[in-house]
Amino acid sequence: MLTVDNISVRRGVSTTLQEVSFSLDPGRTLAVVGESGAGKSTLINAILGLVQCSVGSVSWNGAPVSQCRPALVMQEPRAAFNPRLSLRRSVMEPVVAQNLAVGSDRLATLCRALEVQPDLLDRRPDQVSIGQAQRMGILRALIAAPPLVLFDEPLSALDAVTQKHTARLIADMQEQEGFAALIVTHDLGYAAAFADEIAVLRAGRIEEIATAQSFVEAPQTEYGRMLRDAAFALGALERVA
Amino acid sequence: MTLHVRGLSAERSGQIILHPTNVDFKPGERVGLVGASGSGKSTLGHELVDALRTQGASVAHVPQSPDEALDPLRSMAFHWREAEKALGLALDNERREMLFNALRIEKGDLRKRPWGWSRGMQQRFVTAMALIGVPDLLVMDEPTSALDPVVAAGTMDLLEDYLKDRQTALLLITHDLGLAARRVSRLMVMEAGRIVEDAPTQQFLASPKTRAAKALCAHRNWLELPC
Repeated sequence: MLTVDNISVRRGVSTTLQEVSFSLDPGRTLAVVGESGAGKSTLINAILGLVQCSVGSVSWNGAPVSQCRPALVMQEPRAAFNPRLSLRRSVMEPVVAQNLAVGSDRLATLCRALEVQPDLLDRRPDQVSIGQAQRMGILRALIAAPPLVLFDEPLSALDAVTQKHTARLIADMQEQEGFAALIVTHDLGYAAAFADEIAVLRAGRIEEIATAQSFVEAPQTEYGRMLRDAAFALGALERVA
Repeated sequence: MTLHVRGLSAERSGQIILHPTNVDFKPGERVGLVGASGSGKSTLGHELVDALRTQGASVAHVPQSPDEALDPLRSMAFHWREAEKALGLALDNERREMLFNALRIEKGDLRKRPWGWSRGMQQRFVTAMALIGVPDLLVMDEPTSALDPVVAAGTMDLLEDYLKDRQTALLLITHDLGLAARRVSRLMVMEAGRIVEDAPTQQFLASPKTRAAKALCAHRNWLELPC
């Protein structure tokens, strides 16, 4: 289980995360929503240990998170890969870095599940579509079977149909592999459809955290209501009559 | 005035990316142009702007990101003056105040450079600039995708209020049918460089005809996805 215990992150004189606490069980999905600058990416960086928490701690089953080798799926699929390397080499990097014995059958299984054509693995990132590149990003994240996967706006670079297809693939993979998923997104429609819980982050603080259904039906804070109503206004969510 | 464009087309590196296309807009009409990435939506938008300007129509274009419209080294006042000059208009503080009030950016400091304004205010400023010349057509290319949902919804609401009862037609280019369906009365669907469907919004949503339109309709709502 991921435990984020009262963490704060300071940058210079400003505080980008303040007293953030939550936990996330294996197989569950937490969506973190909020405006730009709310601290969503800082939260991911703090969990990964890429920024230092001034107070508080982050752990996986009581041990430092780095020991569970969490994976990250980034927002811009093509920019997430080294443009000079073949996708196959990039996808296998976690296996090489962790010195794991991952057979070709694992790669083939994931390719099938994520609808990645194996021959595209021999191309470079700019030689595949954005949708394919993002599926390869997910493939790279999952190849070493991590128990925790962090997704930083994983769908925002994709078009509407590809977004929903990719979201379904992520959910199917989670069901098969059982990883805990923390998804940072500004798309409340995605969060409502695929997350178990939604956390609203604003100015570095978690304003509310609730099950997806109860958040959509009745946000508890004014800002939560603004976010929910904006999603209605933009057509990301449909009002239930 | 009613706008008619015939035979729009485009090719890059010998490949046709926009097949010959006809488009019409009635005064004040709200039209959505939807389709997948790479279907040719933005290309059609650019070609449309060029063709209509050649015909002498007044057309304004709001790009996806305010970064594409604003020079980071110039003040907001400079951008406003440039836009007025480009349209051959005299400086008019009253007009500026009216547009700033309509888009709720009246508190923005014009002496600042774009990065001194929030992203949402930058996008509203660009939208206000586009409305200076009372265009016959306003082309908005993915106007919300670079913004937070709260800011994006606010910008669209303000724009809708401003355009109400005005003659400016709107072309909303987006990959998001959910957004377009709430804002336009007619929807055009693009696939592989062609408009494959063009129908009133309600009729389109009730009975999409083509494969591309059916896919968009099936993926319109997150909570009702096909399994």
